[in-house]
Amino acid sequence: MIAIDAVSKEFETKGGRRHLAIDDIGLAVADGEFVSILGPSGCGKSTLLYIVGGFVPPSRGSVTVGGKPVTGPGPDRGPVFQEFALFPWKTVLGNVMYGLQQQGVGRTQARERARALLAMVHLEGYESFYPKELSGGMKQRVAIARTLAYRPSILLMDEPFGALDAHTRTRLQNDLTEIWERDRKTVLFVTHSVEEAVFLSDRVVVMTRSPGRIKEIVTIDLPRPRDRVTLLLERRYQDHVVAIERMMDAQE
Amino acid sequence: MIRAGRLADTLIGLVPIALILLAWQAVHSAGLAPPALLPSPAAVFTRLAQQLGSPAYLEHAAATLYRLFAGFGLALAVGVALGVAATGSRAVGAVTGPIVRVLAPVPKIALYPAFILTLGFDDASKIAAVFVDAVFPILIATRQGTAVVEPKLAWSARAAGVSPARCLVTVVLPAALPSVLTGARIGLVISCIVVFLAEMITSTDGLGHLLVRAARNFQTVDMFVPLITISLLGLTLNAAFNALRARLLRGFPEES
Ligand SMILES: Nc1ncnc2c1ncn2[C@@H]1O[C@H](COP(=O)(O)OP(=O)(O)OP(=O)(O)O)[C@@H](O)[C@H]1O
Ligand SMILES: [Mg+2]
Repeated sequence: MIAIDAVSKEFETKGGRRHLAIDDIGLAVADGEFVSILGPSGCGKSTLLYIVGGFVPPSRGSVTVGGKPVTGPGPDRGPVFQEFALFPWKTVLGNVMYGLQQQGVGRTQARERARALLAMVHLEGYESFYPKELSGGMKQRVAIARTLAYRPSILLMDEPFGALDAHTRTRLQNDLTEIWERDRKTVLFVTHSVEEAVFLSDRVVVMTRSPGRIKEIVTIDLPRPRDRVTLLLERRYQDHVVAIERMMDAQE
Repeated sequence: MIRAGRLADTLIGLVPIALILLAWQAVHSAGLAPPALLPSPAAVFTRLAQQLGSPAYLEHAAATLYRLFAGFGLALAVGVALGVAATGSRAVGAVTGPIVRVLAPVPKIALYPAFILTLGFDDASKIAAVFVDAVFPILIATRQGTAVVEPKLAWSARAAGVSPARCLVTVVLPAALPSVLTGARIGLVISCIVVFLAEMITSTDGLGHLLVRAARNFQTVDMFVPLITISLLGLTLNAAFNALRARLLRGFPEES
């Protein structure tokens, strides 16, 4: 379980002034729960994810994961960054193998698992490519495979499908729900798309404009497994989307 | 297309070199300089070819090369290690920062007499001279390159359970490789200059020593031969370095 307790983050800006990025965020995410975070650009969604990941310390408040306070990064929480952050000097296969090899998994075994993961994100045949030779969507899929490789029980995904065309996006959403249905990982998922959030999530957290606070938490009571086409015709799905869209518009 | 373009570039690059050789020949033929002071290019290159077949001359060249690589290799190892450590540890950064800023602009060849007194006339003093001059650009480039590595690269590794120290070596250093190699290239050029200078100042062997000895004896042809040898050496080293760089950086977007 992730427990975010009264977390605030202040950044020192150049002129010595303080900038409050997120303010008093409290959120508990159950094991195996899929929670999306929606909010205007700059409201602190990435910052919140970095704090849960242990990459950035909070200014106030605390985060515990499985009862233990977060003091730094750990392999229980796998991040997928908005900017991919692939290692440019490694091939696609090398990127996915890196975490496994560092954990002491043998070369052949690491390669096997990396290949299987790349096949799962539909990248077989691209193992020996360098990240610079891939499209944005392909890079994103490598980043996802790289994180899944070391089997984190929690995924921290920062707009992972933001840079993708509608078609690839839909396919990856389906893949992600499939992975989630199978492994029941806990997922914190940042997105700008209301439809995506409603389709994927158990709960949707809507944040206010900067400084980011939690404006509302909407429980998505749609049955699983969800099928996108049936969902589109479902009244409750439409209602959720419209209600959340209104919430977002209200704060413009 | 690209191959043809590169070849054309190489050919264009040869033009100024050819012009200098032509000018040299012209000055010589016109008798503008006394032949005793400025020998003809033909005489120099004939002598060069002769010398490159002579074991005695090659021994001198080998001595120079050994000092060059020993000094540069040490500088590379120490410069990269200290540069990475300075980024990884606040304490190392705080200690090395000011001392590097103070020493970097000092012409370190001035330390060479002191090295001769402490390390003797042999290889050690020359290797030390090359080392102290080459280590600074490598250290500075490594320090700066590693300091600006995108934090999310390191975070990605740390999230996989990699320790900070291991992350420094397996992620931060490779990510800073373009900058490190730029520092290394500057260090290599400096190494070539310093080893030659040191041998010219005090030495009993090496290409620099041959040049000074020839000059003292007014053997102008023999004076030019080591000079051309070292420039050919620099050219070869540069080409080898470029090939290595292209290979090491083949995944980096800014390199084509
Ligand atoms: N390292 C930093 N130093 C100073 N201010 C920062 C830093 N990182 C983020 N901020 C500020 O914190 C606020 C939140 O940034 P954050 O990146 O978390 O927003 P976001 O919700 O992820 O936005 P987007 O949807 O555009 O990705 C912004 O106002 C930003 O200027
Ligand atoms: Mg963001």
